[in-house]
Amino acid sequence: MEKNYYVCTGCGLLCDDIEVESEKNIVNKVYTACRVGVAHMKEARRNEANFLVDNKPVDEATAIKEAASILKNAKNPLIFGLGTSINETQKAAIELAKKINATLDDTSSFCLGPLAEALIQDKLKTCTLDDVRNKADVIIYWGTDPSDSHPRQLSKYSYFPRGTEKQRGWEEERTAIAIDVRKSHTAKICGNYFFQIPPKGDAEFIDALIAGLSGKLPKTSYNYPPKKLLELANILKGAKFGVIFVGRGLIYSLENLEPLFKLMKILNEKANFHLIPMVGNCNTMGFNENLFAETGYVNSVKFENGTVKHGPEYSIVESLKAKSVDAALIIGSDPLLILPRSIAKNMLEIPVISMDHCETLTSKHSKVYINTAISGVEAGGSAIRMDGVKVSFEPAIETNHPSEEVILKKIMEAL
Amino acid sequence: MDFGSFLAAPEIKVKIITYRDIFQDKAMLENRFGEEYRDLSAVVKLDPADLKQLDVKKGETVILKNSFGRVVVKAEESGYETPHRGIAYMPKSPWSNMLISDETGGTGVPKFKDISVTVTSAKGEKVTELML
Repeated sequence: MEKNYYVCTGCGLLCDDIEVESEKNIVNKVYTACRVGVAHMKEARRNEANFLVDNKPVDEATAIKEAASILKNAKNPLIFGLGTSINETQKAAIELAKKINATLDDTSSFCLGPLAEALIQDKLKTCTLDDVRNKADVIIYWGTDPSDSHPRQLSKYSYFPRGTEKQRGWEEERTAIAIDVRKSHTAKICGNYFFQIPPKGDAEFIDALIAGLSGKLPKTSYNYPPKKLLELANILKGAKFGVIFVGRGLIYSLENLEPLFKLMKILNEKANFHLIPMVGNCNTMGFNENLFAETGYVNSVKFENGTVKHGPEYSIVESLKAKSVDAALIIGSDPLLILPRSIAKNMLEIPVISMDHCETLTSKHSKVYINTAISGVEAGGSAIRMDGVKVSFEPAIETNHPSEEVILKKIMEAL
Repeated sequence: MDFGSFLAAPEIKVKIITYRDIFQDKAMLENRFGEEYRDLSAVVKLDPADLKQLDVKKGETVILKNSFGRVVVKAEESGYETPHRGIAYMPKSPWSNMLISDETGGTGVPKFKDISVTVTSAKGEKVTELML
């Protein structure tokens, strides 16, 4: 019997081997997905009402009219989120941002944005997760704990699977290395190849590793044992197909990406290394690519009468901090939950329109709330996986909830 | 009244590093306003020696405080083999976000994994509810 496989949009891995049992458009059972994926695919309800204005149920026309009115009256509206939206929605949001001279940003401005930008600009050597499964012999998890953040990453792609050129798998043919400030679940799997460094110690560790790779004595101010660093350098030198999975732990610790560029350069002189960012949301990479194609920037932009400005001052964090935005359209994100309260609190002073499939801290504070379909579960489309591969998907169940894309287009028309 | 109640509770300074937790992420997807999400989020993991200095047993509540906010969360032992006095760990959540500085140096990136707080016993005070 032929089976239908669905795509899990629960994280940046976009696992495409998910089986779902549903009845009357309710997902009852989910097979193959991880704990987070099962919760995501079953993530159903939520508010009964599709449209709220001032927390009172209204019809669609009223909600759209109110949303359009907020955006029309704003001098500098912010559009934020879109990390879980399909490519088509992201493109519609970019069009809307242009039309209303909005500031447009997503979570990558305070996550892995610089890395996504470098990869899109071909400044770092990368590969696909399928390449990792089939070929990788040395795998580094740096400042990331996929066992918690991307639970199937190790079993489906990076460490445990048999690949075409790695038939003997992790027992004999793969070495997994964790570099982190704490012994995460992933670090435990890496056993003796866990390299614990102090907070903010990454740049120095990279310098010392580069010294080790160059045959010099690796030194750090925190006295990391040179012998262990040399042991690591030797493993890396012997890699036929190496990959570094980079998480926020590393990015937050570095002032800029220079140390990483230097490390990748020397690793590719001595061996063969690739880098993949551990992107959290299912389509943050898509947002970065779509915005880059349109503007040459991956996030933090401000449209102004046909021109585009870019810089950290147009990120959600700096915009809210400086109170430079006077309304916000939040799509599939919960800034009041994910941002520091000291910054997010400024969002309470401006009118907010939120689109999400469940009640959130942000939706509770929204002037307008639109209960939209869940991308991948209830709405089809395409997204870009963390390694840049485009994945298309059909919805697992049908819904009466409108898609984000349809709502954005209706708001555009109402403007 | 017990004389001890007039004495200042021991106070220590720690740096908090935030991290992701699969069980907490799952609980958030199911209900971000629910008990399970709160129980798995409003937690700080400390070195056992720090807990001892605070005179706090694991499972009891502590106050985490700095100039940006104050939250009451449950204290747990980290379970890490390597001692890490002065460094504590929290799953990233609205509770840890209460303590993050608004100072970003204009970069757009808050210091999610570099939070300085003082810790004291909450003397039975309940865990802070998710604020709106």
